[in-house]
Amino acid sequence: MVARHGFGYLGQALSSAELFAALYGAAVRYGTDRIVVSPGHYVIAAFAAAAEMGHADDALLAQYGRDGSAVEAIGTERTPLLDYTCGSLGQGLSAAVGFAVADRILGHGDTRTFAVISDGEVQEGQVWEAAMFAGHHHLDRITVLLDANNSQVDGPVDEITTIEPLADKWTAFGWDAFDVDGHDVAAIQSALGQSIEAERPQVVICRTSTRHGLACLPLDADGHFIKLDPNLAAAAIDELEGRLATDGQ
Amino acid sequence: MVSDPPYRIELKPYGAALLDLARERPEIVCLSGDLTRQCEVDLFRDEIPERFVHAGMAEANMMGMAAAMARSGLIPFVHTFGVFATRRPLDQIINAIAYPHLPVRIVGFMPGISSPGGPSHQAIDDVALMRSLPGMTVIDVADATETRQMVRAVVDVAGPVYIRLKRGEIPSIFPSSHEFSLDHAQEITPGTDVALFASGMMLAAALRAERTLHEHGVSVSVVNVPVIKPIDAETVRRVAARCRVAVTAENHSIIGGLGSAVAEVLAEAASATPLRRVGLADTYAEGAGSASYLFRKYGLSTQHLVETAWTALGRHDQPPEATEVPVDAGEYAPV
Repeated sequence: MVARHGFGYLGQALSSAELFAALYGAAVRYGTDRIVVSPGHYVIAAFAAAAEMGHADDALLAQYGRDGSAVEAIGTERTPLLDYTCGSLGQGLSAAVGFAVADRILGHGDTRTFAVISDGEVQEGQVWEAAMFAGHHHLDRITVLLDANNSQVDGPVDEITTIEPLADKWTAFGWDAFDVDGHDVAAIQSALGQSIEAERPQVVICRTSTRHGLACLPLDADGHFIKLDPNLAAAAIDELEGRLATDGQ
Repeated sequence: MVSDPPYRIELKPYGAALLDLARERPEIVCLSGDLTRQCEVDLFRDEIPERFVHAGMAEANMMGMAAAMARSGLIPFVHTFGVFATRRPLDQIINAIAYPHLPVRIVGFMPGISSPGGPSHQAIDDVALMRSLPGMTVIDVADATETRQMVRAVVDVAGPVYIRLKRGEIPSIFPSSHEFSLDHAQEITPGTDVALFASGMMLAAALRAERTLHEHGVSVSVVNVPVIKPIDAETVRRVAARCRVAVTAENHSIIGGLGSAVAEVLAEAASATPLRRVGLADTYAEGAGSASYLFRKYGLSTQHLVETAWTALGRHDQPPEATEVPVDAGEYAPV
């Protein structure tokens, strides 16, 4: 999807691949639960995961980022598979909170809302407005998966500002927080399983890297917007297919 | 068609109308940004608490929640002052509500310089901000009768609606037989000299200015324009074409609101009728002890409307003076 253009939101896909695998592979009940992807740049990963689970076909993915496509690089209202359009950062958690409040009013006690948010986004005040509201109202049907990839446009998040201690912050706002290796699908799934039992809203903080899983990427690759020239794209595909072949043995 | 000032005052016509409608329509939910009594929705909170949400002082989150609630099949009415409803959460309204064209009703109280709370509390740009958003309906009603009817009229509008409402004592200008329309502006007095287009709180002043000018031989067509977007272009063109000059009157900046909307209609129609816009002339409003002081200081008084029409007609003699209407408790008259 990224190779065709030579650039794109590959870092986000790499950091969140296991997060989405855990989410789509085990936690989400398709057609019952809702998914909000707050950083709209991450839709590439959501599409890939949905396609892998059979909710979207490869023809749709082939349209990613093309002129006239419903599958734009940052999600739009025409984008399939997601329940809320995001893109302007920091807004998705309010959506999840609104869905959860609506479910209470409408008596939809079984529905869960999963929100994917990123660590850079917690610099936006709206995230904490929503977190405070959800904590106060014990909105235990909300689960946040927070991709802590330490990457934002201007550089590593921890060089721009201090967002830690993340787990303590969420706990202080009335949430149950789980801090896990975000490239370990089993660890994420275990945290998700525990979180669903909780009586408070839950956040699973996934510690990740925007370069994970592609050794061929240069060390100085810009995690927010990776340039992938044809040679590098070919190397990346070779590396991934080689690993698939090895893992498949 | 309309009563004479001083007008009888009503309290909480909006809050009572919303509660009435919500009793019939279970999908209506009410959100408030820490201004519940001030926005008249204490009536809703006290009777239907299960559909009332205290969002607190967090307007961005409030708009995002309302958007998700609308996607869930509910009809959210969101309440705070006009400044906080439009300035703070503008990006949230655009991305979460306007772009997806969701049926969220954003209700902003205390319009323009009706607040003596200083520029931080004066919604002088809310109409401009909301009017620029694709698919947003923008409403500025004049009285209690229109307010009541408007609530029922907007509930099933397919997309988002911004409603600006006067806070506190609401004049009753129109009889109950008046029909609020989302589609049509109403020509209240027939005239051929001045087409006077007014919205919201300025309608009362426009009607008073018409009386003064009429007594001095000037024929004024007062047009009530409660729906600023989509504007009733046909009525604007028709009345302006018949008159020698056109004047707009709004409790808002003259940039981006009713005056701009009328100017756009007339310019595109190649209208030869000269236009004057009465409102805040690209300025913030300071020095407030009372709203009436601000209305005079910043040129939003009845007298200012009279003088604007007078000079627009090319009159160089002394303009007539609008007489003050004395008011008792429980009554309202324009400045």
